[in-house]
Amino acid sequence: MADTNPIKQFEIHPIADLSVGGLNLSFTNSSYFMVLAVGLTVGLLAVATSRAALVPGRAQSVAELLYEFIADMVRSSAGNDGLKFFPLVFTLFAFILMANMLGMFPYFPAPEFHGFTVTSHLIITVALAMLVMVIVMGYGLFKNGLKFFSIFFPSGVPVPLYLIVTPIEIISFLSRPISLSIRLFANMLAGHILLKVFAGFIVMLGATGGALAAVGILPLLMVIALTALEFLVAFLQAYVFAVLTCIYLNDALHPGAH
Amino acid sequence: MSSPSDHTRPPEPDDFEHRLAEKLKARQARQAKENAAPSGWATGMRYGSEFFGGVIAGTVIGLLADHFFGWSPFGLLAGVMLGFAAGALNIVRAVRSMQN
Repeated sequence: MADTNPIKQFEIHPIADLSVGGLNLSFTNSSYFMVLAVGLTVGLLAVATSRAALVPGRAQSVAELLYEFIADMVRSSAGNDGLKFFPLVFTLFAFILMANMLGMFPYFPAPEFHGFTVTSHLIITVALAMLVMVIVMGYGLFKNGLKFFSIFFPSGVPVPLYLIVTPIEIISFLSRPISLSIRLFANMLAGHILLKVFAGFIVMLGATGGALAAVGILPLLMVIALTALEFLVAFLQAYVFAVLTCIYLNDALHPGAH
Repeated sequence: MSSPSDHTRPPEPDDFEHRLAEKLKARQARQAKENAAPSGWATGMRYGSEFFGGVIAGTVIGLLADHFFGWSPFGLLAGVMLGFAAGALNIVRAVRSMQN
């Protein structure tokens, strides 16, 4: 009856098949959750700010809290001129947070009632990280011209050492989108597998019956604790992604400042 | 003005300072907790992905150099070494940013 395969939750099922020129562009459950994450974020924020009052109500104060939180983060890690990237950082944070939180539903009003975590797929996190890096490089080159490349030539290094230091710096720069995307992906993947593994233990122990069924209370307690931890991770990873975006934007805005 | 049942003396400046010190201590403790290093899992994940990213980027660049310039296998060898160094550099930077 119950499927205890912990990997099954990551399967992608097409909802509406669509093929353009041999490319499979089906609308999948992943797309569904992404659309939902965007829709819910926009909808909730629109509702929260629709009746703006001087003394904010509950929803409005949450929205303001979110705004202040991100604005402070951008200001403290990318400076005041980093605030022009506030929409980008806020969008990334809100999307990742909402996608992570939607992933916390084991069952969800989606086709087949499967919950799904968008950010547990590497391709999504890589796309987000590449977006950030393209913007950082594009804006850095646009604003600073060739001076942008000074981040590859740290000051105070003897000239012959640039032969080694510069390739290392370049690789270090190129590794940023990789570590940025892998961190988010691995955290969500590992957390959700762990949850399902322990949840599977409950079912298996319960199915054996007898005294072992009573032992099933232990994995149940574990799942409760892990769920709390996962909520923390869901928020923390969205935050980390946004903070690192700000730090990388700082490199584009002020090259050679570190 | 203390009520008859109140055995303590009325509030005095000393008392206020005492309470203030207590509040400050509680607040500092809270701030220390907020600023404390994140959980081991998060820290490990951070360093792990930083290092992993460096090595992967170096390896990919080495393989690309092999592929396009025909340097095989030296592109990969150099790429992995440089990637290792870049990963170590990433970790050093991550640690420094977390300590500040």
